[in-house]
Amino acid sequence: MRIPILKLHNYLLISIQTELDDKTAIQFQEDLLEKIHSSGATGVVIDLTSVDIVDSFIAKVLGDVVTMSDLMGAKVVLTGIQPAVAVTLIDLGIHLQDVPTALDLEQGLIKLRQELEE
Amino acid sequence: MEKILKDVVLDNSDEIVRMWIEQVKKNQGGAFYQSLSDEALENTNREFANAIFEGIQKGKIAKTPLDEFAEKLINLGWPLTYLTDGMQVFRRSVVKFIIHKWEDLDFSEADNYFELGDDYFPWVLEKVDEWVDPLVNELVSEYSGSWENIVSLQRMALQELSAPLIPVMDNITIMPLIGTIDTERAKMVMESLLDGVIKHNAEVVLIDITGVPVVDTMVAHHIIQAAEAVRLIGSRCILVGIRPEIAQTIVNLGIDLGKFPTKSSLRKGFQTALELTNREIVEDTNREEEIENLIESLDRSEEE
Repeated sequence: MRIPILKLHNYLLISIQTELDDKTAIQFQEDLLEKIHSSGATGVVIDLTSVDIVDSFIAKVLGDVVTMSDLMGAKVVLTGIQPAVAVTLIDLGIHLQDVPTALDLEQGLIKLRQELEE
Repeated sequence: MEKILKDVVLDNSDEIVRMWIEQVKKNQGGAFYQSLSDEALENTNREFANAIFEGIQKGKIAKTPLDEFAEKLINLGWPLTYLTDGMQVFRRSVVKFIIHKWEDLDFSEADNYFELGDDYFPWVLEKVDEWVDPLVNELVSEYSGSWENIVSLQRMALQELSAPLIPVMDNITIMPLIGTIDTERAKMVMESLLDGVIKHNAEVVLIDITGVPVVDTMVAHHIIQAAEAVRLIGSRCILVGIRPEIAQTIVNLGIDLGKFPTKSSLRKGFQTALELTNREIVEDTNREEEIENLIESLDRSEEE
């Protein structure tokens, strides 16, 4: 199953609404990078509001996607990480140190604009 | 035979109570008993003795007078030792009394008569224990039940107080922490912090540790974890209320709090929070100007 990637002006919006398994995650990584390349987007918001479970592999993929997109010139903001997910990640020792985060999509877009202005 | 024994004890209750009170009074020398009037102590002793006899007489029923008596003592805050002490003395008094009266007792007409000879002492002891032990158990369970109740209530109160979250402004929330933080509480703090951030849509959370007496590596670790989790869900965390001695401990322990901003007081932290959410405090000077103008115009009119 593929995760839809929506384009809005210069931004790409992704709302993950399925259980992320390893295959979907890798597929998503490829799709997103391809889309950044084809659309020339400068910002990406990945919304994780409906994601209840994140294991260490998914967390690594998400971290990688952020770094890779950065390399291609697109800033990524993760939004809507659930408290339970945050606690799990911290317990697993995954701090996603350099990844910008925001509470919801709206604030994610504001944050993205701020980051791009700098 | 047991029935005869019981009847003897019940028939002579007055004498046993007299012996019992005499003995109990000797034991009641502690500070608690000195704070009571002699009359109150006397009355309670008498009530206790009556309750015991009624308990023995009626055996096991749902609500014995002893239960009611124990409840009353619990409410009045009497120590458990009063009851256990009383029961022990009672056991001794009864045994002493029966041994004393043994020669006068006539068991020959009893239903299940058997010859005891000189070995009657263990038998008497056993019988008396059979009456007294259930009463002791009942009293102790009554007391411990009330304690457990209190402990569970206090634990609930503590839980309610342990992690409050105050949304002071749109997007700014404060969590004041007071008292020692252990692992269990830290978990609750983290949970309520994250849920609160989502619920109040807080962009900035201030964790106030003014009321935390000691910050060791464990507490610092928990606070750092909470702050990281807050960052992951897309909010920012400011640690405020760091007292000089806490700053010293943190540095001496080699704890790195560099990843998120820290401030010495809630006031400063709040200002930083306002800056982070693009707001500032503006003092309203218009009113003062208005008053000055008014006074000036008054002066002018007087001059004219």
